[in-house]
Amino acid sequence: MRILCLAKPVPDVDGFQYDYETNTLVRENVHMILNPEDATALAVALDVKRLVPGTRVETITMAPESAVPHLEDLIRRGVDRAILISDPCYAGSDTFVTSRILSRCIEDRSYDWIFGGSHSLDGGTAHVPGQVAQCLDLPQMSNIIEVDRDSLTGGPAVVEVDTEEAVLRFEMDRPALLGFQYSTTRKLPYIRYEDIDRDVRGRIRMVDNSELGFDRSEVGLQASLTRVAKIEVKTLHRKDTLVVGNDDEGIEAVYQILKRRGFLAS
Amino acid sequence: MKRILLVIDPDATKASIDLLEAARRMYASEELESYGLRLGAPNDPAFGILDRVIDPEGLHRFDLAGVADFIAELHREFEFSAVLYPATVYGRMLAPRAAMRLHVGLIADVVDVRRRDGRIEMMRPAFGGKMMAGVVHRGPNPVMMSVRPDTFHFGGGPAENTVVTRRAPATPGHSGVRLLERRPKPVSRDIRDSDILVSGGGGVRRRFGMLGQLADALGGMVAASRRLVDRGVAPRHIQVGQSGRTVSPRLYVALGISGSIQHVAGLKNAEYVISVNPDRHAPICSLSDVVVEGDAGEFIRRILERIAAGRSDGDPECEGREP
Repeated sequence: MRILCLAKPVPDVDGFQYDYETNTLVRENVHMILNPEDATALAVALDVKRLVPGTRVETITMAPESAVPHLEDLIRRGVDRAILISDPCYAGSDTFVTSRILSRCIEDRSYDWIFGGSHSLDGGTAHVPGQVAQCLDLPQMSNIIEVDRDSLTGGPAVVEVDTEEAVLRFEMDRPALLGFQYSTTRKLPYIRYEDIDRDVRGRIRMVDNSELGFDRSEVGLQASLTRVAKIEVKTLHRKDTLVVGNDDEGIEAVYQILKRRGFLAS
Repeated sequence: MKRILLVIDPDATKASIDLLEAARRMYASEELESYGLRLGAPNDPAFGILDRVIDPEGLHRFDLAGVADFIAELHREFEFSAVLYPATVYGRMLAPRAAMRLHVGLIADVVDVRRRDGRIEMMRPAFGGKMMAGVVHRGPNPVMMSVRPDTFHFGGGPAENTVVTRRAPATPGHSGVRLLERRPKPVSRDIRDSDILVSGGGGVRRRFGMLGQLADALGGMVAASRRLVDRGVAPRHIQVGQSGRTVSPRLYVALGISGSIQHVAGLKNAEYVISVNPDRHAPICSLSDVVVEGDAGEFIRRILERIAAGRSDGDPECEGREP
């Protein structure tokens, strides 16, 4: 069984600091991480590999070449092979263009299932899994919280999807794209001590536009169907704030406010 | 006149109808003809509101490819200016497929619509909610977007003579997906319905259980920041913020919450904010009415004691709520 995992390195947005003096986002010292939901999906895939003999797990990433160390890290954690799609002409592609590029790279490969996260931490659009599935004409579900591992070997896959009102159980014909929801309990395996310095460069395959053959007009910023016209820093609406201590006087002040404003239940 | 299509998620009918308000903002004074794509909504909330409702015959809503084909088919006939989806789990699954099917751009999770120099700018959070991006649509119509629930509110309008059309898709469904079971979640009160929210962040990670006592004393509900949800301390359905719920309570008590913009994005119109934080310069403090400088666990203990003392004294003003 072959599982192809979509893996996107994203800036760790929790590390962004905000400079209130200059109204700017401080991006220095922000490190890149694997998109947390993609990490959940990959953790599930590696778990399947551990339990089902003959399972191969590959990742596919579209990113600048600086992503190579991240992919090496994933290989040391158990990924069999990583594909890195990288070409300067792809810079600035929106989700529509990105999905077409990923799909073209995927369509010639053999796979049983494609795994990915449902959303990404940076853009958060959640478009890419659905659009890749549409390009490849695959069934697809997002927000998956559970997959029956045994069902993956024969198919159809049995999955559970978390929605606002209910948990839905589906079966999905093979091949299909499974988009996972972030889970705190599904973590990537640790790197074994003997693998820390293992040379894995040979397992990364670089793909650029000479292979995928897009016309320049089809990719990058100019081909994108949405454009960011401006970025606004959200300014907090400042109020006249009363600051009190966590002492008798402060507690009394808060109590009186709660009482006066009718917030104390009878 | 502009024709617009609203995709009605049967699990979020109010958010689906609220899309009409977003469409009105897009086209300001222009006359709108509104179409609703009804995907199995049990009662028809669009009746009397939209001009036309289309019922796809024999199409299952989780046949996402089939529904995307059907939207493309409708667009060929009616030439919509815009197609809007609620940014629910379902809407966010369907919209990307339909956009790809029609080869049009898609703007996700829109929270505001502005018109500037004759063009429409959709505002959406970026970088985990730390900034807002104004995004414009390029290329042919329709403009496609998913709209964050509870950010627009349809306030009513003249009653429409809604025409309901049943229609079988031209191409049969081919989804490869079958629904086996639906397990409704236990009905828990929605934090969006509560006037009073007692909300915890990283600063109360180890004492989150205490929040319930204060919420009970105030007759409110407990909410949480993303940090606590990601760590498994609090369930996702009580998360406030960009990736959680947007709330507008009368009172928001923020305990040990620093107030990342991600979090503040979910505090749409909180009327009164009390925050408790050891750092009086934490971002949440600048939008608070009252800041208690100190430890949140200590605060809960002390304010509960004071409330209990007020009750046992028979404080007459505690007998009922003032307006």
